[in-house]
Amino acid sequence: MSRLEAKPAEVRKVSLRREMQPIVQQRLMIVMLLLLFGVVAVTVRIGWLTVSSGGEAYAASGDTTLPPRADIVDRNGVTLARTIDAWSIAIHPDRAISAPEELAPRLQALMPERSVEDYLDILNSDRPFVYLRRRALPELVAQVNALGEPAMEYLREPERLYPQTNLAAHVLGWVNLDGEGVTGMEAVLEERLMDPEQRGEPVALSVDSRVQAAVQSELATAMRRFNAIGAAGIVLDVHTGELLALTSLPNFNPNAANRSSDHARFNQATMGFYELGSTFKPITMAAAIEEGVVTDISRRYNAEEPLEIGRFTISDDHPQRRYLNVPETLVHSSNIVTARIADQLGAERMQAVFRELHFDDPVEFELPVRGRPIWPEYWARTTIMTAGYGHGIAITPLHLANSYATLVNGGVYRPLTLMRLPSDAVPEGERVFSETTSDQMRGLLRLIVQEGTGRNADADGYRVGGKTGTAEKASEGGYRRNALISTFAAAFPMDDPQYVIVIMLNEPRGDAGTGGASTAGWTAAPVVSRVVSRIGPLLGVIPSETRDIDTANLRAMLWRAPSERS
Amino acid sequence: MNMEATVVKASIAKTGRRPLGDYIGRSHQGPLSEWFWEIDRVLLLLVTILISIGLIAVAAASPAAAERYSGDSFQFQQLHYFYRQIIWFSVGIPIMLVISTMPKELAKRFALAGAVCFFVLLVFVPFLGNEVNGARRWIGYGMATLQPSEFLKPFFIVAIAWLLSLRVTQDHTLPVVPATAIVTGVIALLLMRQPDFGQTVIFGSVWIVMLMISGVSTKLLGGLSALGVGGLAAAYFFYPVATTRINNFLFADGDSYQVDNAMRTLTNGGFFGTGPGDGEMKYRLPEPHTDYIFSVIGEEFGLVACFAIALLFGAIVVRVFVKLINEENIFYVLAAAGLATQFAIQALINMAVNLDMAPSKGMTLPFISYGGSSIIALSIGFGLLLAFTRRNPHLPALDKRL
Repeated sequence: MSRLEAKPAEVRKVSLRREMQPIVQQRLMIVMLLLLFGVVAVTVRIGWLTVSSGGEAYAASGDTTLPPRADIVDRNGVTLARTIDAWSIAIHPDRAISAPEELAPRLQALMPERSVEDYLDILNSDRPFVYLRRRALPELVAQVNALGEPAMEYLREPERLYPQTNLAAHVLGWVNLDGEGVTGMEAVLEERLMDPEQRGEPVALSVDSRVQAAVQSELATAMRRFNAIGAAGIVLDVHTGELLALTSLPNFNPNAANRSSDHARFNQATMGFYELGSTFKPITMAAAIEEGVVTDISRRYNAEEPLEIGRFTISDDHPQRRYLNVPETLVHSSNIVTARIADQLGAERMQAVFRELHFDDPVEFELPVRGRPIWPEYWARTTIMTAGYGHGIAITPLHLANSYATLVNGGVYRPLTLMRLPSDAVPEGERVFSETTSDQMRGLLRLIVQEGTGRNADADGYRVGGKTGTAEKASEGGYRRNALISTFAAAFPMDDPQYVIVIMLNEPRGDAGTGGASTAGWTAAPVVSRVVSRIGPLLGVIPSETRDIDTANLRAMLWRAPSERS
Repeated sequence: MNMEATVVKASIAKTGRRPLGDYIGRSHQGPLSEWFWEIDRVLLLLVTILISIGLIAVAAASPAAAERYSGDSFQFQQLHYFYRQIIWFSVGIPIMLVISTMPKELAKRFALAGAVCFFVLLVFVPFLGNEVNGARRWIGYGMATLQPSEFLKPFFIVAIAWLLSLRVTQDHTLPVVPATAIVTGVIALLLMRQPDFGQTVIFGSVWIVMLMISGVSTKLLGGLSALGVGGLAAAYFFYPVATTRINNFLFADGDSYQVDNAMRTLTNGGFFGTGPGDGEMKYRLPEPHTDYIFSVIGEEFGLVACFAIALLFGAIVVRVFVKLINEENIFYVLAAAGLATQFAIQALINMAVNLDMAPSKGMTLPFISYGGSSIIALSIGFGLLLAFTRRNPHLPALDKRL
């Protein structure tokens, strides 16, 4: 009794403890479950992120050097496009502390692409984030940083850099601000370039940057000299179909593609369709020889008078006013004789050869910027005759280059490519001409450069062969006499042809050096000569004083004025 | 003297030392073996794993942090933060172990004294503190700089637990709830002045959880929850730091660059990670070694490592709470549950921020993030937790005593 009375508080405590125990236990469990709910929420979120990110590392594990987008290199491994960590400059106008009136002129001085008013608008706006420059040089970032505005932010963003600037710009194309390929090989190869499995390996194009640079610089020089509105140049490996150079001038800098004009972005080599004129004559001759229309190249055809077919008159630019054999026809570029031979060949056989050369299709290669050639809808007799010397049918310079490759490589057509081909991946090709015809054409093409309109294309020791083509540009209601497309299609070395070069100048104007002539022999041919002497050594073609294709018997067929005979 | 003792003596005579097994063997009656058999060894194992993971994570994040904080005039060594972290742990782990050996009564007194000390220091922060990143949270100079609020957390919890337990052990009429409310309120005010919104949330929520466990009426709990929500709303409307943080999160307003980068880093490594040292995105992170270390782990060790860490924190919570179920001393229940709750809430908030589930606050991931104050304060807290959960293995249940 007395014990109980002595410790009433103790009893109360014990009973309170007993009373509290279940509540405390229950509450403990509730708190634990709440905390576990948090843990579960976090794990669910991690699981969701795993699923939504695909669970795969963006960077393949173990390789920190893996770029976000594969490099593009030329056939020798020279970098043409690479992704770098560039700087961007941005500002948080709502957090800016400088006086806008002071900051705006300073920003304008450093980044003059916006006016002071534009900067004031940005600074006075309450926007949380504005990009001021998406691709900034580190020096500029340092200068802007030195302004001391804490609301500036400098971000590292991957940027596509084209270290060779405008070299092969039309081939490469460019990427947008999100790093996706927009045109050119950047767009064509989009998947390959972004594929995490293959990103580490650069993509090798068929282009040889040295050759491309030589063609670009010689073309640009000629374009300036002759005030041409455009130019295109192609170098092609005749045995594989690989394009070593593909250029269209004016071109652009893919590092700042948005600052170039549409004219500069237009690829004349793939999109420009031109009536390429006399460069067609060797093709017509080859077709005629192949089909047995011309069995003897020494046979002479009447070129005394311009040829009148209905209301058309076909005349020669360098009239000889006599009968001409095949070598003479090509050397003097006779429209009359070519038309006569085309007439004998007939629509069917001519179309068959043209189709075998794929003149009716867009060029077979990777770039999507190519259209369908202008193929005559109705082949009248005059159509056949004019098509024989390259009028009435419009193709791209690339078509022409490939047909010349077919002419000289032994007669095999192969699709073109901008990708470097391993030696075992060269396509078989389709036979268009026989070896014999091809051999004969090699001699004839060399003869044109030795004796005819193509003299200016010769490069000492490199045995160039080729054909000029000067066509008046078609316009509404006829042809424009002073607007020419001057083309030279060539191959070298002719004793063992390896490369085809096509040079095209759009509306060149002759100068004193050419005696005022704007024709291909005076404008395009010298470009070929200079390009060959520059790229020949790079491509391992050994110049020789003594080696050459034997054209003695062809030369013997040329008529010479008595005074010229030795 | 039995055979065994003779053998032991003989071995001492031979080697001059006794094998370690003797110190912690069940048969040995010394302080070390007593500690070993009383301590919650599962909890000790879990925290050891956590500290190991933390050291690896800081080693991974250290180069990124060193690069970020190096200037033209001064370059941090790549593993600077890793070496510093080892120093912090070499101080913190002994502190934790020593505290865990304290008799419970001594631990309680130690904690109460600490609570008073650091409360005073916290009061002085506005006058003596150093300003970092626009907040005045630190006190002291050089290596001796410390953040009183970090140290106050464990001591505060023990103090609140003690106050609340008075109602059960002494007199149920004591106004302990209002008393704890006043203490918490004063601390919250001091923290908001710094400003430190994240710590305020932790102090507040731990206090509410402890009230809940102490068995206050559901009516009061409902009122407090409403007050908590109201407080958050008030913070949102009247407290600019909270306003911007919450706006950023809810409406993706303003600059989401940091959060975006954290998310990108976290998922960059995929499920299995890029591998140690191979992370790239971590270099774009602010505070890769403290607030955003969870993202660095995600990048280099994969989301699987993030899973593991989340589960590890979950395991610690379960271990502590399940063991508390049959603890009869209300003070130990409250103190241990409060310490575990603080630990878990801090981890959850940090992970949620990294996973873009919560607005960003300056909150460290316990035992994983870099930081001297944080590591030593957590060591003290965990040491107290280990001390209060120590259980005499020979006295199984409370029922027998009552």
